[in-house]
Amino acid sequence: MHILLRGRDISDIYKFDVYTANGGYEGLKKAVSMKPSEVIDLVKASNLRGRGGAGFSAGMKWSFIPQSEPIKYVAVNADESEAGTFKDREILETNPHQLIEGAMICAWAIQATAVYIYLRGEFWDVAHALDERIAEARKAGFVGDNVLGSGWNCNVYTHLGAGAYICGEESALLESLEGKLGQPRVRPPFPAQKGGGLYKEATVVNNVETLTNAPWILVNGPDEYKKIGTEQSSGNKIFCVSGHVNKPGNYELPLGTTFRELLYTHAGGIANGKQIKGILPSGGSGPIMRVNGNDDPILDTKLSYEDMAKAGTILGSASIIVMDETVDMVWVASKAIKFFKHESCGKCTPCREGTFWLDKVVDRILSGKGQESDVDLINNIAKNMSGVTLCALGDFAANPIIHTIKNFPEDFKAHVEKKEVAAEKAAPAKAAPAPRRGKEAAAQAGD
Amino acid sequence: MVTNITKTVTIYIDDVSYQVPAGANLVDAAKALGNDIPVFCYHPKMSPVGMCRMCLVELGSIEKDRATGEVVLDDKGQPKVRWFPKLQTACTTNVSDGMTVRTNTKQVDQARENVVEFLLTSHPLDCPVCDKGGECPLQNLTMEHGPGKTRMNFADKMHLDKHVPLGDLIFLDEERCIQCARCIRFQDEVAGDDVLAFHERGRSLQIITNSEPGFDSYFSGNTTDICPVGALTTADFRFGARPWELTNVPSICPQCPVGCNTSLSTRLDRDAGGRAIIKRVMPRQNEQVNEIWICDKGRFGHHFSRGADRLQIPMTGNAPASLTRALQVAADKLKAAGSDVAVIAGSSMSNEDLWALKQLANGLGSERLGAWPPTHAGADLVAQVGVGKGTNLSALGKGDAVLIIASDLEEEAPVWRLRINQARKRGAIVVVANARKTQMDEFASETATFEYGEAPKFMADIEASDLGKKLAAANNLIILTGADGLTLVESRALMQSAANFLIKTGHIGKANNGLMSAFPGSNAMGLYYMGFTPEATLDIAQKPPKVLIVAQSDLIADDPSVGEWLTKVETIISLTLFNDALAGLATVALPIQSFAERDGTFVNGERRVQRFYTAQGPIGEATPAWQVAGRIGELLGQGKVKLSAAAVMLDITKSVPAFEGARYKELAHVEPQFPMIQKDVYYGGTAYENTGGLGVQIPTAADQGETLNVGEVFVPETPKVGKGKMLIIPTQVLYNRERTFQSSELMHPRVADPYAEINSADAKRLNINNGDMVEIAIAGASAIRVRAQVDGRAPKGAVILPRHLATNAVPLTATVGSISKVGQAAVVEG
Amino acid sequence: MSIHDEKYAKRIEATFAKYPDKRSAVMPLLYIAQEEYGWVSPEGIEEVAQYCDMDPTQVKSIAGFYTMYSEQPKGKYWLQVCNDLPCALRGADEFHKQLKEYLNVEEGGTTADGMFTVEHVMCLAACDKAPMLQCNFHFVENLDMEKMKAQIEQWRAEAKAEKK
Ligand SMILES: Cc1cc2nc3c(=O)[nH]c(=O)nc-3n(C[C@H](O)[C@H](O)[C@H](O)COP(=O)(O)O)c2cc1C
Ligand code: SF4
Ligand code: FES
Repeated sequence: MHILLRGRDISDIYKFDVYTANGGYEGLKKAVSMKPSEVIDLVKASNLRGRGGAGFSAGMKWSFIPQSEPIKYVAVNADESEAGTFKDREILETNPHQLIEGAMICAWAIQATAVYIYLRGEFWDVAHALDERIAEARKAGFVGDNVLGSGWNCNVYTHLGAGAYICGEESALLESLEGKLGQPRVRPPFPAQKGGGLYKEATVVNNVETLTNAPWILVNGPDEYKKIGTEQSSGNKIFCVSGHVNKPGNYELPLGTTFRELLYTHAGGIANGKQIKGILPSGGSGPIMRVNGNDDPILDTKLSYEDMAKAGTILGSASIIVMDETVDMVWVASKAIKFFKHESCGKCTPCREGTFWLDKVVDRILSGKGQESDVDLINNIAKNMSGVTLCALGDFAANPIIHTIKNFPEDFKAHVEKKEVAAEKAAPAKAAPAPRRGKEAAAQAGD
Repeated sequence: MVTNITKTVTIYIDDVSYQVPAGANLVDAAKALGNDIPVFCYHPKMSPVGMCRMCLVELGSIEKDRATGEVVLDDKGQPKVRWFPKLQTACTTNVSDGMTVRTNTKQVDQARENVVEFLLTSHPLDCPVCDKGGECPLQNLTMEHGPGKTRMNFADKMHLDKHVPLGDLIFLDEERCIQCARCIRFQDEVAGDDVLAFHERGRSLQIITNSEPGFDSYFSGNTTDICPVGALTTADFRFGARPWELTNVPSICPQCPVGCNTSLSTRLDRDAGGRAIIKRVMPRQNEQVNEIWICDKGRFGHHFSRGADRLQIPMTGNAPASLTRALQVAADKLKAAGSDVAVIAGSSMSNEDLWALKQLANGLGSERLGAWPPTHAGADLVAQVGVGKGTNLSALGKGDAVLIIASDLEEEAPVWRLRINQARKRGAIVVVANARKTQMDEFASETATFEYGEAPKFMADIEASDLGKKLAAANNLIILTGADGLTLVESRALMQSAANFLIKTGHIGKANNGLMSAFPGSNAMGLYYMGFTPEATLDIAQKPPKVLIVAQSDLIADDPSVGEWLTKVETIISLTLFNDALAGLATVALPIQSFAERDGTFVNGERRVQRFYTAQGPIGEATPAWQVAGRIGELLGQGKVKLSAAAVMLDITKSVPAFEGARYKELAHVEPQFPMIQKDVYYGGTAYENTGGLGVQIPTAADQGETLNVGEVFVPETPKVGKGKMLIIPTQVLYNRERTFQSSELMHPRVADPYAEINSADAKRLNINNGDMVEIAIAGASAIRVRAQVDGRAPKGAVILPRHLATNAVPLTATVGSISKVGQAAVVEG
Repeated sequence: MSIHDEKYAKRIEATFAKYPDKRSAVMPLLYIAQEEYGWVSPEGIEEVAQYCDMDPTQVKSIAGFYTMYSEQPKGKYWLQVCNDLPCALRGADEFHKQLKEYLNVEEGGTTADGMFTVEHVMCLAACDKAPMLQCNFHFVENLDMEKMKAQIEQWRAEAKAEKK
């Protein structure tokens, strides 16, 4: 059963008529018939948790908004830039009205004055199509002035980013929406507080997938929703599976589904008859898992917030990157650190300097010129970056280093001892340089 | 920041409890308690951003029972602390009751060491050749908290451009920059001119400016002070000297009425014959005057003090003479004239000079003491209802108001503009009222306009208007006037009306209320207290004396109409810094010392008597003006010349009641100021501690409850402009061709070519295009040729003509004239 | 050339209508400037600054922070190949290399005829359809070199037809 990826069941549900013919906007109608606070209580009761990564209770977040403020906003996080994540895009492309409806339910619950959907710039086509969907919803009275005759006005707007992963971080997203550099803000005040949100007004920031759940919850009730998933992780989750599987793609399954079921029953198993070596369960940013081949019991770990924590990693946005036995984990660490080096906003010292430094040393190790002390060095630099940065990107950047060293010490050892390494096949000896623009290019022309 | 400490809270730092002002910034609060939490990005004058992560501390709060509000105790009976799981940035934390902080744990030490190490990964470590070497926070904090040795391969470091001119004045060394954004935030938050920004991101983050021309803010130099490394340097001082070779002498900027406290960094210089010369000018902290800022004119305008045009030796009849001889000639001429003698003194002379000149004139039986330039009236009103004692523009905020009328403050007194803009940001209403549009409008919360000539009337009638009511209702109100577009008579009327309004609405006799004026020069108030007035100057012009002493006043360059009457003066005795046109006309020309070569005092626009000290070696035979006057007096039998400036001041304090309590010792008094910058980590010695004295503010008559006498307001008629004529409005621009600025070659490209602004409708009618060479004809003066700047800022019928840009003198005050395209006769209508 | 051109008036007006603050329009307007000039040119920056009431420095700062604004002219087809980890696990590095060889360009370079710029980018949220790229912001997915060559020929033909 699809709650979110309904486009897979009804292929043209992206069309307004088809959506409404299939129960579309009933959730919003129900919400508007209720008191805003009742809607918040209902969503709280459903135990819907944020799908953007942190898993924070959506209803709780909505309840933080000071009701008395005259201006409030909803910012929908459609920046989807974590390596290996492509779920929000499918929702936006194939079931956009359900997101619009979900966002409007949230907006009603906090009595917002406007909704801004912040899409990563690369979703250029997606955003332009979404504008048309919004126009349809407005025409039908679900968005805009006097929504459903309630006297409440709330418009929905799209805003395109322009290539910056950090704008997925909620406060950087708000800065970017305000026409500033996408650099995270000092908190407190938090977005939900007056002074901390968009244009300094209280603002709810929720992920696309999170909000897309709301219409279903309104229609079917929180109890039905809680029946899906595990004790602490209710509902369905879209798992983005990529890498060495036969059928990469999105799979919407109940939270608590095991890796084994996801990878073998749904994603077609490991490609080319290989053994699985590692999984990045939350894109490039979460702690990597070591998997000792296809029979490793770790694959029976349930994909829920609580079970993943127990397994020493995180569910995050559930972007599951699968790597087989041919993959050199030093190369993986290098790819990851290049990503974070490229995406560090540069605002705070440990992240800005740490990603730069880590990349240099990892490159050295990867090229066979490293020493054992270099491995200790990067481990130490990464640890020094952890927990001290302004936003979580610093921690994200440290994770791939710390956890690949911890879980795959032999790969690092092989490089520093200059043994034959699997990497020769799976990856170039020297990873491709990060894209260079302007001064960076000039600065590094030498290497 | 001025905290009205009303409430205190208890916080615990490293297990000791303290009472601190509620809501204070944790870094500031700890600093006041002697605990220096290290910072790079934080600066107490700007909002915290938490970027550098140097100030990480362990932070917690004492748990209190929700129901009873009582402190929860642990098993040992100690208050239970709920700690944040991660280290927190102190700079973004405001203290609250029960806050618990640890600054000396292993974890904190480690975090500090790590941040320093991270910063040094990219830093070039070129301290031995760095201008900031020796006064560099990064250097200091590396010593104190750094890792001792590097784990970064030097070859892996970034190699970036080390000489990026951000403009003509400021250079950026991209390798040294630590991305703290202090400069960016200064320009945005403090200067109100956001022309700096980051470009790119991550480790590629760099400071850029895209303004045209380059980084060209009036306050750009301050960024080099607050830069915690040597990334920003001034073109003036770059490679000029090493900070540790410098002697820092407290001084006062001689350029405008703000009276910014400065520190002249001097060095014995081979190029100057081994004498001490000024290598740079730095701001010196005086929170009530300039905080820690100065404008670029003050910073880069010091070169006149040893300009090639300084008069080095006395002259009589245009021939060099010994000082003894020249003084004798002067004395003889004066003696022969009896009491038919007058003095015109410039507005940047010291009080000691003015006092000695007054003694000289009085001794001869003359009371004719003119102030130069005679543009701004009403210093007497400032003495009566000026801003109350203890005024601090930094204290203005929500509920307060400032009315700036007939002044382009940005050009006339930049640091006042800066501070008033800060007040606006804190919530004060700032009203800018003028007959023309200026860049001040950008800093206003509202603007008001009137026609030229109507300023006094506008002020007189303000009471009945909504604006007037709003101003009247403000908690604190300051009216700041200028003489933009006013005649001297109008200027007086404006001041009187402003004074009346302040008196009527009760905004006098208390701090942060009252009248200020953007007078010319650095000591216009001193002129008043010493008895020199602009009205007397006009009288002197009307009835020229036999002998005229002209002291530090560039009459010929300032005013085209002096030619008319100056010829009627038999003998001119010129006390001058420069070998200028007047020195050529004078029977006796006596070289005097500039502010940099001797001791003295100025009274700033807020009536603060401030002391400056001898910084550089003498220039030729130049002598302090007070000594010149004193020695002439001695020759005339008026008594012995005083031995020092301090002795002259002692005399003043005995004779001029306003100066009671302004003896040199009292002027040199210092008190702790906030933010505290001594030997500290915020500034690392780059903003200068005030060791020279905070000065003494003269109380107003209102402060002392004396009876006030504003005088009857004479609101003059608006001048009639005849057909085909235009109003010619001389204005002040900060960067100009006055001699006291001209020697700063660095600033030459910043000085505009002579221009006149006219309204596009007038231009069309007169067939003038933007950029055309035009001729401005004024009765009694030779024609002035400038380029026309056709824009929407000049009101119809007016020609805005900045002074001291053209070689020809521009009228001192508003007048009537005509404008025409060169080669085309003026279009006369009707 | 200017974004003041009539053809953008409606879009610009609609953009400003979205936000309570002019500054929020800076990103959408930079896209328009890029469309007009082919890159974010100094003129474009100046014009956007005027519209948004910002100092040009702040506009340039925005253009420099976000990678989708190009501060240098690019080829007619700006090919941004994702070779981030998930795509790389499915052969994107090799694809990227071959594409550069085929077009005979360096990383970030533009073909001599000004037709194609090739550079690699971070994850584009199309990991299940690797190798893939973005051409002038439109996704082209499930590629291999054969398909790519055909696509390139098609673009060349399109460009030719456009010229006529
Ligand atoms: C560096 C960084 C990148 C992030 N990127 C995204 C993103 O692309 N999409 C997203 O929804 N949340 C992202 N987040 C999480 C958001 O900050 C925020 O927690 C989330 O949008 C909240 O929505 P939710 O409660 O519905 O999950 C990111 C966080 C960080 C620190
Ligand atoms: S952790 Fe990285 S991305 Fe986050 S604020 Fe610091 S520099 Fe920017
Ligand atoms: S982060 Fe606090 S001083 Fe920089």
